[in-house]
Amino acid sequence: MTEFLAATIRIATPLVFTALGGILSERAGVFAVGLEGMMLAGAFAGVITAFLSGSMLAGVAASVLGGAAMAALAAVATTRFRAEQMVTGLAVNILAVGLTSFLLRGLLGHGEAPTIRVSPLAAMPVPGLASLPVLGPVLFSQPVLTYVALAAAVAIYVFLVRTRPGLTLRAVGENPAAAFAGGADPLRVRMLAVTCGGALAGVGGAVLSLQQVGTFTDAMTNGRGYLALAAIIVGRWMPFGTLLACLLFGAADALQLRVQGLRLPVSSYVIQMTPYVVSLAMLAGFGRTAQLPAAIGTAFARDRPSS
Amino acid sequence: MPPASRRIDLAAVRALAPPLLAYWSLAHGAFGSWDRIAVGLNRATPYALTGVGIALCFRARVINIGGEGQLALGGLAATWVALHMVPAPRPIATLCALGGGVLAGAAWAGLAAGIRLKRGVHEVLATLLLNFVGLLIVSEVLQGDLGEPGSGFPQSPLLPAASWLGRLVRGTDLHVGVLIALAAVAVGHVALWRTPFGFRLRILGASAPAAAYAGISPARALMSVMLLSGGLAGLAGAIEVLGVHYRLIDGFAHGFGFNAVAIALLGGLNPLAVLPAGLFFGFLETGAVAMQRAVGVPTPLVAVIQGLTMVFVLSAMGLTAGRRRV
Amino acid sequence: MLRMLGITKSYGSVRANRGIDLVVPPRTILGLLGENGSGKTTLMNVLFGLVRPDAGTITFKERPLADHTPREALAAGIGMIHQHFMLVPAMTVTENVMLGWDAAGRWLRPAAVAEHIRTASHRYGLDLEPDARVGALPLGGQQRVEIVKAILRGAELLILDEPTSNLSPPEVSGLLDVLRRLRDEGRSVIFISHKLGEVLAVCDEVVVLRDGAVAGRARAADTDRAKLARMMVDRDVSAPIAREEGAAGAERLVVADLVASDATGVERLGGVSFSVRSGEVLAVAGVDGNGQAELVDVIAGLRRPTRGHVFVDGADVTARGVTGRRQAGLAHIPADRHTTGLVGDMTVSENLAFRDCDGPPFRRGPWLDFGAMRAAATERIARFGIRAGGPDVAARTLSGGNQQKLVLARELTRRPGVLVAAQPTRGLDPGATRFVIDEVLAVRASGGAVLYVSTELEEALVVADRIAVMYRGRFAGVMRRDAVDITRLGLMMAGALSESPDAAALYGRKAR
Repeated sequence: MTEFLAATIRIATPLVFTALGGILSERAGVFAVGLEGMMLAGAFAGVITAFLSGSMLAGVAASVLGGAAMAALAAVATTRFRAEQMVTGLAVNILAVGLTSFLLRGLLGHGEAPTIRVSPLAAMPVPGLASLPVLGPVLFSQPVLTYVALAAAVAIYVFLVRTRPGLTLRAVGENPAAAFAGGADPLRVRMLAVTCGGALAGVGGAVLSLQQVGTFTDAMTNGRGYLALAAIIVGRWMPFGTLLACLLFGAADALQLRVQGLRLPVSSYVIQMTPYVVSLAMLAGFGRTAQLPAAIGTAFARDRPSS
Repeated sequence: MPPASRRIDLAAVRALAPPLLAYWSLAHGAFGSWDRIAVGLNRATPYALTGVGIALCFRARVINIGGEGQLALGGLAATWVALHMVPAPRPIATLCALGGGVLAGAAWAGLAAGIRLKRGVHEVLATLLLNFVGLLIVSEVLQGDLGEPGSGFPQSPLLPAASWLGRLVRGTDLHVGVLIALAAVAVGHVALWRTPFGFRLRILGASAPAAAYAGISPARALMSVMLLSGGLAGLAGAIEVLGVHYRLIDGFAHGFGFNAVAIALLGGLNPLAVLPAGLFFGFLETGAVAMQRAVGVPTPLVAVIQGLTMVFVLSAMGLTAGRRRV
Repeated sequence: MLRMLGITKSYGSVRANRGIDLVVPPRTILGLLGENGSGKTTLMNVLFGLVRPDAGTITFKERPLADHTPREALAAGIGMIHQHFMLVPAMTVTENVMLGWDAAGRWLRPAAVAEHIRTASHRYGLDLEPDARVGALPLGGQQRVEIVKAILRGAELLILDEPTSNLSPPEVSGLLDVLRRLRDEGRSVIFISHKLGEVLAVCDEVVVLRDGAVAGRARAADTDRAKLARMMVDRDVSAPIAREEGAAGAERLVVADLVASDATGVERLGGVSFSVRSGEVLAVAGVDGNGQAELVDVIAGLRRPTRGHVFVDGADVTARGVTGRRQAGLAHIPADRHTTGLVGDMTVSENLAFRDCDGPPFRRGPWLDFGAMRAAATERIARFGIRAGGPDVAARTLSGGNQQKLVLARELTRRPGVLVAAQPTRGLDPGATRFVIDEVLAVRASGGAVLYVSTELEEALVVADRIAVMYRGRFAGVMRRDAVDITRLGLMMAGALSESPDAAALYGRKAR
């Protein structure tokens, strides 16, 4: 059981980073459909840099840049050029899959797919706390990025609720005209939010490639970006709720890995479906999507009302 | 696969330097022989079919991105029908299987539309979430009833030959589905530009207040266009199963859904233009394999081109909103 | 405190402000009275820095104010409360106040701000809970959030633009109390309105604008409603355009006890009943925002009423929707031709057909008959004198007047039994305006019944056989054109004649 809980937290970590990044974007009014691509870009940039430089730290830094770069593309297209947000996110995802696989082969593999091996980040037990029963192995013997993820959730919460920039960001997502009347520049705020969100998603990707497996394979995010989107919905666009949702989804994933051994009457595929079904049920259950940031998906233009 | 060396090798990147050679091998890979052309056309078929449906949706400002799930379920239904209609003769088995595919895809899209209309959930989220559920349903069924035990891979047993899609040109892989796609494109074009139904869709997409003023019901339009596009996606899935693989293979739907959105956009939301866009994607993909073999340019370049094209088209559309032919 | 001298502003050929002088002493509530188009909004936009005047000076607290932005106006101490609030519904009162307020700091201290809000709320009688979600507050509460925002930012002069248009009567009296307390604490208020009762109840001085110039000034204590109403609407009541006089025929449009709310659920139509006969034009005058839009929407089928019925030629069309009404012979010229009346990106012939695409002549079997559409378009372009490149040009390339002719061509060709025209001459030059009026009178001459809703009193007087005035979702009164009394009309438009007997209690002072 302890092992199951520890695995849950471990598996949830990439989701947590990505979902937190998505919250920044969505709260500012931009659909975060491109999380999958940003995560993948971060995973790739991280592991490549770590492989070439030998430094994990450089890898993580690179993953931030990779995710942010992908996000910047989407940010500019949707804010400056008013491109349709959801579909631009899809485009970014397609682009990221192609770009990462292409560069993998082109830069390192002489045109073929090479195997990269990096030793994954080991668990970093917190001295003293790690020897507690139950909580010790579950919470305090995790790799470093997992601790960072939990800290990030708190940081994002504080940012959104307790700082002026966070308030402005939320206002831009609810009523950009009101934020504009209050002196903010909604386009700039959105661009920054999306890019920072992408940076976080990039770290989520680094968790996958650097912390969990130590390599990069084509499209290794495998839909986790969309899962993060679902977690944001279930978590009602709030950091702690989303954290819980990620843990829930992590548990589902950990469960379906063990299902064969347990011989449960439920198939692993059905378990994999639960995050999506639960999100849909939650959305449908709230009637009108009342929890969504009110201005999400709309373009903002100074002289025209939002369309 | 060899372990990678720690030094960045730009040789493969330098291999891009003779671009003419790369383009030539791309073109050769796509069009070099009848076989190659057949494969490209086959690949373009589901793209065109799904793309037409999505183009019609977008015209009415309905965003349906669940094409992959609808397509997969269409293939599933076709497989089920084919396997259970064993004694039926040639055209009947195929037609029934195709019909099953249409119904399954339409039903799945209709479910999303229903959730949107009854519970107010934005259709993007509904179609996206149902997309993954649909794909997982197919995987699940392949593990159980429809699976072929003994094969190391999740797939159904081979479908009875009576249900297979016929060949269009003997000796090649080109199947009749291409004609179906052409018909769908033509019907889509005519429907959009020459019928009151299409007229209503275009008005709805142009201006919601004007549509209300014209007495157009947005709910009715949303449901009809979703059913239509779902049916087309399901048909595409059935065609893939009955004409290319002859069985249901886990993951056969991969990439069709989102790429179809790209194709619909590239085609400027015009059904007729979706055809060349679908051909572009289809031939790009087949040619890329040859390009990789000849010049060493990795095949994922195709996805890069697709993604970048989409971003640029979307940006252009965002800028020119309000000045396009409606 | 405030001195505006010689303010002049023109928009093209429209002279919105013609040399207006306005002086606001400290500790004063000044009422700015006028109808639509009198220049009140332009004048305030000039003051607040949203618009630059062509001529004139502004001095505020002994310092000149010129070429300024709204931020500078705010910094100087002028606060503006718009008709449409700039609030975030999902956030609390405290958060809305902190938004855009630099003094609140980088690290928000919601507790401190909440304390400020409570203090101000107590001092001015605003009754605001800092932790309440703004979206859950009634419109009056939201307005008070805007007021507390202005106060906390140090506004000494507050401008309120039509502040009571969205308020219920108890909320109105609450607001007037707040304004009195603001004045007693040393601030000044400019109260823009078209409602005489409120203006007389709370203002110390009144300035009446008409057609871009000052029509009169008075101290509230020295004037009365009749005088103010006269100043507001005084105009040459010239004879209408020559038209056939005949007895009106059978009732063609009957409206019974219509009650309806707007998109946000606020009741805007409070029980309207009337009828329009064959060969008659009933004009509905009144300042915008008194329920005219909802009335037109319900009759035309774009909005469901909460209660009531609409009859066209005896048939109950209330539940029939737009198409049913069209079939019954009801034509509708919408107030907004750009987004509703026409689809700008579609061609002229498509625009002429888009309300009728489901039957003959534009539909043949399953197909659209483009030939018929084009032929109809060509014919109508000629008949109505529409200046367009042809039936295949996009509607947005036409000028405003020609676009409206297009809408008319579509609506009038079928000889409607009932025509509902909402602001049909908005934004049109005199030539196009004349054309519209002629066409409306032609419908009247052929036996149709016309409901003509307009904020332009002149027009209403020219076109109407009877003229009704809407105020706060009801008909304040209906007059025959040949018996029109301008003062009475003005009083009705300004809400002075539909007052209930306990108006005194409402306004906290003796009503005149």
